[in-house]
Amino acid sequence: MTGQQLGVAAPVRREKRGFAPFGMSPGVIALALVLLALIVPPTIFLIQTSVHETNADGSFGALTFRYFTGLFDNPRLLDNLANNIVYALGSAAVAIAIGTTLAWIVERTNTPMRRWVFLLSIVSLGIPSVLYTVSFLLLLGKAGPINDLLRMAFGAGGPTIDVYSLWGMIAVEGIDFSPLAFLLLSSVFRSNDASFEEASLMSGAGLWKTFKNITLRLATPGILALLILVLIRAFESFEIPALVGRPGRVYVLTTDIYDSIQTQVPPNYGEAGAFSIVLLVIVVAMLMLYNRISRRAERFQTITGKGFRPRVMDLGKWRFATAGALVLLFAILIGLPIAIVLYASFLPYYDGVHLATLPQFTLDNYRHVWAGASFRGSIGNTIILGVMTASIVGPFTALCAWLAVRRVRGGALLDQLATMPLVFPAIVMGVAFLHLFLHLPFPFYGTLASVILASSVRFLPYGMRYSYAGVLQIHKELEEASAMSGARQTTTFLRVVLPLVAPAIVTCWLFVFLVSVKAVAMAILLVGPGSQVVAVTLFDLWDNGQVTELSAMGVSWTALMTTVSVAFYLIARRYGLQVR
Amino acid sequence: MTMLDVQDLHKQYASQGGRPGGGVFGATFQLKEGELFTLLGPSGCGKTTTLRSIAGLETPDTGRIALAGTVLFDAALGALVPLYGRDIGMVFQSYAIWPHMTVFENAAYPLKVGRRRIGSAEIRRKVTDVLARVGLESFIDRPSTQLSGGQQQRLALARALAREPKLLLLDEPLSNLDAKLREQMRHELKRLQRDTGVTTVYVTHDQSEALAISDRIAVMSDGRIAQIGRPRDIYNRPSSEFVAEFIGRTNLVRGDLAADVAADGTADVVTAAGALRCLFPVATSARRGLAVVVRPEHVTIHKQDAPADGSANRLDGRVESEIYLGELVEYVVATDAGAEFFVRTAPGKPIAIGERVRLSFAAEDTVAVAP
Repeated sequence: MTGQQLGVAAPVRREKRGFAPFGMSPGVIALALVLLALIVPPTIFLIQTSVHETNADGSFGALTFRYFTGLFDNPRLLDNLANNIVYALGSAAVAIAIGTTLAWIVERTNTPMRRWVFLLSIVSLGIPSVLYTVSFLLLLGKAGPINDLLRMAFGAGGPTIDVYSLWGMIAVEGIDFSPLAFLLLSSVFRSNDASFEEASLMSGAGLWKTFKNITLRLATPGILALLILVLIRAFESFEIPALVGRPGRVYVLTTDIYDSIQTQVPPNYGEAGAFSIVLLVIVVAMLMLYNRISRRAERFQTITGKGFRPRVMDLGKWRFATAGALVLLFAILIGLPIAIVLYASFLPYYDGVHLATLPQFTLDNYRHVWAGASFRGSIGNTIILGVMTASIVGPFTALCAWLAVRRVRGGALLDQLATMPLVFPAIVMGVAFLHLFLHLPFPFYGTLASVILASSVRFLPYGMRYSYAGVLQIHKELEEASAMSGARQTTTFLRVVLPLVAPAIVTCWLFVFLVSVKAVAMAILLVGPGSQVVAVTLFDLWDNGQVTELSAMGVSWTALMTTVSVAFYLIARRYGLQVR
Repeated sequence: MTMLDVQDLHKQYASQGGRPGGGVFGATFQLKEGELFTLLGPSGCGKTTTLRSIAGLETPDTGRIALAGTVLFDAALGALVPLYGRDIGMVFQSYAIWPHMTVFENAAYPLKVGRRRIGSAEIRRKVTDVLARVGLESFIDRPSTQLSGGQQQRLALARALAREPKLLLLDEPLSNLDAKLREQMRHELKRLQRDTGVTTVYVTHDQSEALAISDRIAVMSDGRIAQIGRPRDIYNRPSSEFVAEFIGRTNLVRGDLAADVAADGTADVVTAAGALRCLFPVATSARRGLAVVVRPEHVTIHKQDAPADGSANRLDGRVESEIYLGELVEYVVATDAGAEFFVRTAPGKPIAIGERVRLSFAAEDTVAVAP
């Protein structure tokens, strides 16, 4: 009898687990399959495109390597790569110099108004890159106020700034990235425990030696990791090379890819594919380096705990000087750019800043923007795009992150899959999805749904980082305590897990919303006539020379996004989440 | 009456990175109703795995667990009661107080989510009762995030007791408190457990806590139970070298036994410090390399010229060092045979460092154990 029970009972227990290949539950496998379906097809089409002739009807022809050999025969590749490297290094230097200054002032000194820097940095997240770039083109352009001032100072033959150059690109990209550099560096400075420095001082080292051997050494991995991050971003960036570099005949890889598709007739998909793969390889290599260094940076940062307090320096009277520096920096980072587009938005046409234009001020541009069906359409589309992308990415990554953090079998795989899209520069992912959508048997290319799908994949890794950090804060025992109270799994999930993960999902949602609505590089290759989005519309307006409408639309949109960013900041602070 | 019955529990963790995984390898014990039973051992000894298996947070590989006659887990029968179906309350090491609920909501949760429907007036009454028991009645409507560490601990206890479970599990409940509060909570825990009469399994790595609080202790090592007994037995009559060394401070010398001894018998063991008359808690056959353990407070220290006090064992030596501990003094004495002995005694003896002294201790305080 016992033997019989044994014989029957053992399989019964195993059956309870049900269908579970590799020990993963069906739910985890379903999530993994969804992720694979999102990532694998565009990748395959990208590679296919680069090694096949493309027929006139868009289908693949014979196998060929001529696009790759063509690249390496083309002297432009080396020139453009060199441009790319100078551009990346230069803008990284600018961003890190400004970011470090801000982070030091905010985290380590008693400068008045320093707490406002966080809010202003978050606000800058909401400004579309195209508008931001255009504002600097207006400020630094030939007819812009800065060159006017130079001419007033040195006469007509004196030095002027040519913004449409490599230097212009470096300046704009560096300034554009510096608020984010500040946000990332502030945590590095904050995590330096003063007791490390005090221990050095007590060992007999002077202030300078302490700074050199302790402060700087501890911050080095963090700064290095950030440097690589800025370099990667500069390699991927599209708006600034397209708006600033191309008119001045400075080309980089992203504009090469864009030109192969959008400027050449017929579009040279093969060349775009080959360029994309070169860029992909560069970014993958840099990301691997980034991962290695940032792991080291984290190891340096984990020493917190008891008696932890960062040292705040009393600057005495000098704190007003650093406050002045803050005001000046934010005048450059936010004040002047906003001021000039605001000014331009009230003009019938723009040709520089003159007092004489004041009587011509008009609200026509705003009327035009808000009344025009196409503008309203693109604002509507953009909001739908942002809301949908965030609504897909937020809950999806929250679930994946929860499974990964709880070490459910296959959870780590979900984490890796959801992080994978990070290796695709936006424009490369645009090319990949373009080909996928063109080869689908039903009309999908150009629809808003297709843009939402692509942008959800693109921002999965961003959502994943937010959700992961959020779930990580929830101690496992909080869930176990619920089960021990007699609650079933669904009750535990609804009454304990969900309320605790909610703040993380909300901040993740807002962050993904903000970054997805301002992205140009991917959308510009995917949108069709019915699916225009604000960022692309702004880009087209600039191409058409409609500066004043662009300004009016940009200002309206920025006002809307600033409201969202401030909400984001307040919610994040309310729940004590780190803003990154 | 047996309340909890754990039979031959096995749970092997997968090895990680070449190191063999830990676990539990054959734990067996029974708890009487109302007993406070402690699983004691160093980290990685399997005490928490045993506790979590009883709770249902882990599923053992083999074995059987029954609570008040109901089988919770039986590998042979394929029976497994899910954790939410077990009538068990648990206090976690981190307390696991839900930050999004008030004190009342935390304590009321087990009454609300259980299978049994309870009216809200009844819930209110029960929660008020249990919070009063732990001294939190005036905090009932506070957000739980405003509680101090000690208060969170009480709330975790109240929550675990709210639905009057048959069994209470405590996973290192005092380890996150500071020393002063920890000693105070020991007494409160013991009082509360006696008042409610709830059968309790307590897990700790702190041997003084285990001695202070338990009715019985199971000392665990490497996934096995090394000894089960009352605190006094565990302390005074350890059954193995591991138990002797893990519980309290001890002097240990090795020696050889010439002839077999029955349980509770005495015999001479020839050690490096000389022949010592020892007590054998378990029957032992003649062998080499036995461990002889003597607690430092069982050793009396005399000036060398003092008269003999009739103890079976005497050793001469020289005082190497002295530490003043407030309520007592600890000496380190190097015996003439080259062994080192710790001695604890009340302060006030006129003995100086470097002085020649005589140590004496009784045969029943000199315990021989297998290594």
